[in-house]
Amino acid sequence: MFKNHLKIAFRSLWRNRAFSAINMFGLILGFTVFIFIAEYVAYEWNANRFHQNFNQLSRLSFLYKTGESNYYLPPGLGPTLKSNVPGIKQVVRIGENVGSGVLSINTGASKNVFREERVSFVDGQFLKVFTFPVLQGNGLLNEPQTMALSKTTAIKYFGNVNAVGKVIQVNNQFGNTDYTVTSVYQDMPQNSDIQADVLLSYKTLESAALRNGNDWADPTGLGSEYSYLYILTNENANLSQISAQATNLWHKLKPDSKNDHVGLQPFQNLHIAPGFSYQFQTYGSLLLLIAFLSVAMLIIVIAWVNYINLSTAQALNRAREVGVRKVLGASRGQLTLQYLTETFVLTTISLGVAMLMVLMLQAAYNSFLEKQLSLAVLNAGWFWLGGATLIISGTLLAGGYVSWVLSSFNPLKTIRSKAFLKVGGLSLRRGLVVFQFVTSIIFIIATIVLYEQLQYMQNQDLGMKVEQRLAVTGPSIINSSQRDNSIAFENEVRQLPFVKQLSASNNIPGQGYNFSTAGITKSNANPGDDKKSYAMLIVDDQFFKTYDINIKYGTGFTLPMLAHGWTKTKKVVLNEAAVRQLGYNDNNAIIGQKIKWNNDFEIVGVVKDYHHLGLHEQIKPMIFLPAVADGFFTLKMETANMSTKMEQIRSLYQKNFPGEPFSYSFLDEVYDKQYKTEYQLGKIFIAAAFTAVLIACMGLLGLAMFAARRRIKEIGIRKILGANVFSLVNLISADFLKLVVVALVVASPIAWYIMHRWLEGFAYRITMQWWMFASAGLMALFIAFATVSIQAIKAAVSNPVKSLRSE
Amino acid sequence: MIKITNLEKFYRTEEVETVALNKLNIEINRGEFVAIMGPSGCGKSTLLNILGLLDDPDGGSYLFNDIEVAQFNERKRADLRKHNIGFVFQSFNLIDELTVFENVELPLIYTGVSATERKERVEEVLSKMQIMHRRNHYPQQLSGGQQQRVAIARAVVNKPKLILADEPTGNLDSSNGNEVMELLTDLNEQGTTIIMVTHSEHDARYSHRIIRLLDGHTVVENIMM
Ligand SMILES: Nc1ncnc2c1ncn2[C@@H]1O[C@H](COP(=O)(O)OP(=O)(O)O)[C@@H](O)[C@H]1O
Ligand SMILES: [Mg+2]
Repeated sequence: MFKNHLKIAFRSLWRNRAFSAINMFGLILGFTVFIFIAEYVAYEWNANRFHQNFNQLSRLSFLYKTGESNYYLPPGLGPTLKSNVPGIKQVVRIGENVGSGVLSINTGASKNVFREERVSFVDGQFLKVFTFPVLQGNGLLNEPQTMALSKTTAIKYFGNVNAVGKVIQVNNQFGNTDYTVTSVYQDMPQNSDIQADVLLSYKTLESAALRNGNDWADPTGLGSEYSYLYILTNENANLSQISAQATNLWHKLKPDSKNDHVGLQPFQNLHIAPGFSYQFQTYGSLLLLIAFLSVAMLIIVIAWVNYINLSTAQALNRAREVGVRKVLGASRGQLTLQYLTETFVLTTISLGVAMLMVLMLQAAYNSFLEKQLSLAVLNAGWFWLGGATLIISGTLLAGGYVSWVLSSFNPLKTIRSKAFLKVGGLSLRRGLVVFQFVTSIIFIIATIVLYEQLQYMQNQDLGMKVEQRLAVTGPSIINSSQRDNSIAFENEVRQLPFVKQLSASNNIPGQGYNFSTAGITKSNANPGDDKKSYAMLIVDDQFFKTYDINIKYGTGFTLPMLAHGWTKTKKVVLNEAAVRQLGYNDNNAIIGQKIKWNNDFEIVGVVKDYHHLGLHEQIKPMIFLPAVADGFFTLKMETANMSTKMEQIRSLYQKNFPGEPFSYSFLDEVYDKQYKTEYQLGKIFIAAAFTAVLIACMGLLGLAMFAARRRIKEIGIRKILGANVFSLVNLISADFLKLVVVALVVASPIAWYIMHRWLEGFAYRITMQWWMFASAGLMALFIAFATVSIQAIKAAVSNPVKSLRSE
Repeated sequence: MIKITNLEKFYRTEEVETVALNKLNIEINRGEFVAIMGPSGCGKSTLLNILGLLDDPDGGSYLFNDIEVAQFNERKRADLRKHNIGFVFQSFNLIDELTVFENVELPLIYTGVSATERKERVEEVLSKMQIMHRRNHYPQQLSGGQQQRVAIARAVVNKPKLILADEPTGNLDSSNGNEVMELLTDLNEQGTTIIMVTHSEHDARYSHRIIRLLDGHTVVENIMM
């Protein structure tokens, strides 16, 4: 029986090739997009889940009265917590990338040198608490001067993973220290938020000698906040109780921190926030995930809608077949089964083709997302099952409805009546087309708004210049001659004819500040002023000139001010926001005033506000501090003939900083990187809009074919009565264009609301304009018209005699 | 008014070529009422479609008001058609979605008549056809005879000089059929040329002249009375 159904199904799909192809095209597109997005969602969902202790892990954060959170904590809090708060089994601290520098091994004859960025200090139990499988060694880092290497790093250094017992010299900000490898661990998966290629034992830094004067890094210290604190709790620990006790403890340790709260962020919420107002910071973007998910759901629903639409439209052609079958004794159940079999065949083929498409396009998709995705990521948790259930149930629903419509035809009417047969659900089909276009138009509007915002951010006057600025990363090895080397390098680079300006600073625009701090006030401060925070940036005398930042009052720094460093010179430059926050009047009288920050610091200048970071955030109150900096060297230069110029800079760099790898970036690129999420969203929406419009047009095409066929008699009569082709095309197209107009009316407020909410995430943003909606509508109208008019023209130019004859 | 010489029409399908009209010669004068008769498939409808400029011949000449129209293109034919010719079909061919009034109004819309004039002329012709009270009904709500009267109203609303009727009584009972024939006779008496295809000897008797076709060829012409 089923075999028979199958045979007939294939035959009738083949007979209605055009419709089947259009129908399958929509489904294939829908399934392909759906699978791709499922991969992404599964990947994000599975982030960090490979840890066996996943459910018992939390990260500590400070929560401030201002609503801000800070996950950098003083490392000294860790051990104290473990011994004082019940319910905590382990505390693991991570000083992320704090140990980055140059690693070298002596292989007798030569010395192999590698620059490593992802070098972190961790507590001894790190590899026991987190699940990064240990391939070699005991997995412990309890002793000073011990280290662990990732598999890839071990192979890079030694050619294989047998590295245990080997000694590596690490040259970083803590000087030159030898470490012994105790373990080699499996590379951290890409969807782990904890990433390190080299792990160094935190214990090492307990020795003052091995800190090389950087006492801020003291693991027992409570002063500087630079470490992640993860805790492993007991099975049924009460997190809010632990959080309360940790807060109490912190208040006891630091009596001036009474307003701060120590919060626990469950590891589950580390990657994706459970909601938009989640107070802790996360690694992944909930916004992207939700955008992805909604796109996936909408696209697959559109594909099914399309299926229903096309199949019921086509039903008209099959009415006679249904009638004959019924007269011959087919029951409604049998007919339903027959048509469900067709759906099944169609869906299976489409799904198969979609899988092939996924395999073929995977590489392109991965490079777009910069993630390593494959069908294999679905092989986790409920994704296979969930996805399969969704596809099957959707298909059953869509197919079931179509079968029901088909099998409900009255046999006598369909066989006998030559007159126009009214197939049920014409208004339903119109509703479905409206739905498809609503979705498409929303995607188009979202795309337009998104790109306008991106455009705006790129064209916004930043108050400084990033074009033609090259940032060279400074040396990471700290030694006694470093300062002289930096000055020598600067002077030599200045001699290069193509370098117009050069500045050394310890951080750069688009990248970040040096640190943020409170406790800065004017001399007669108001209560509470000391809680306001300022972003600090350490720069040299050329910084403002190099970035074309305007000086409003006073001067910038001068060379003599750099000489002794900001701690001794005690001079600062403010931006306008800092002037406002400190409570000064915005005029020249500010020059020479002294601000209090433990000691008095003299204001020597005020610069105009500029966007140090992206347009997501308001311009922060900034305080600039003078020093001979060497974090980054910014070169203002012509970018023509870059490669030869770069060679010259590189050779000077290597001459002055021997053994240091030369790395650089262009400031405009660094700056653009801040909008990565927006760029990705933009690409998602373009792809979504494209797919949705394409599928919607398939539906429209089917409907237009159907309408042209249904109205063939009417068209014939009208032609005989004198209608011209133009008026006939109008007649058919107008109906559909009306649907698109309705869709625009429905879509506009929805799109406005969504994009309004999205724009609120930017401190500097565009306001939506009517033309954005109008052009989305025009675009949809144009595409719809192009689709429909082909059918309409075909119908309109056909010979009326023929169409009336065949009637 | 109409003069066709050696008119030919072929239909080619995959296997066979049908000769629908075979070197046909006919002349029809202004004001005539001509009936065309013949067995099914002899080419009556084909002839009517060509006379009505709905289709073009494969050979021969067709003079319409002394103008050679055999080689006219679609646009020119349409232009000539909508000003000069009205059609009545066996199956009425009314548009289901339009009311009686709107159906009759269509030819006037296509010839660009103003809305006020359209209303006048449609109402005039509907009154004449005694169907005015049904002006807002849809075709399905009318009897066959009423539908055909609407179709005739639609054919004459533009005041065409020629009316082509393809088995206008074919779907009607005899009393409705007679009513339609009376209407056509009235129109003819007012000066409209009428060419009508029919199977009914009874209906043919309303005409002045009967042209009998066999295999696309004139067999005999009877002059009535
Ligand atoms: N569109 C067509 N394609 C093929 N053959 C046709 C077509 N129209 C008519 N014919 C053939 O031409 C001949 C004349 O048809 P027609 O003029 O409709 O005859 P009648 O109206 O006298 O019954 C018939 O044999 C018919 O089958
Ligand atoms: Mg016929």
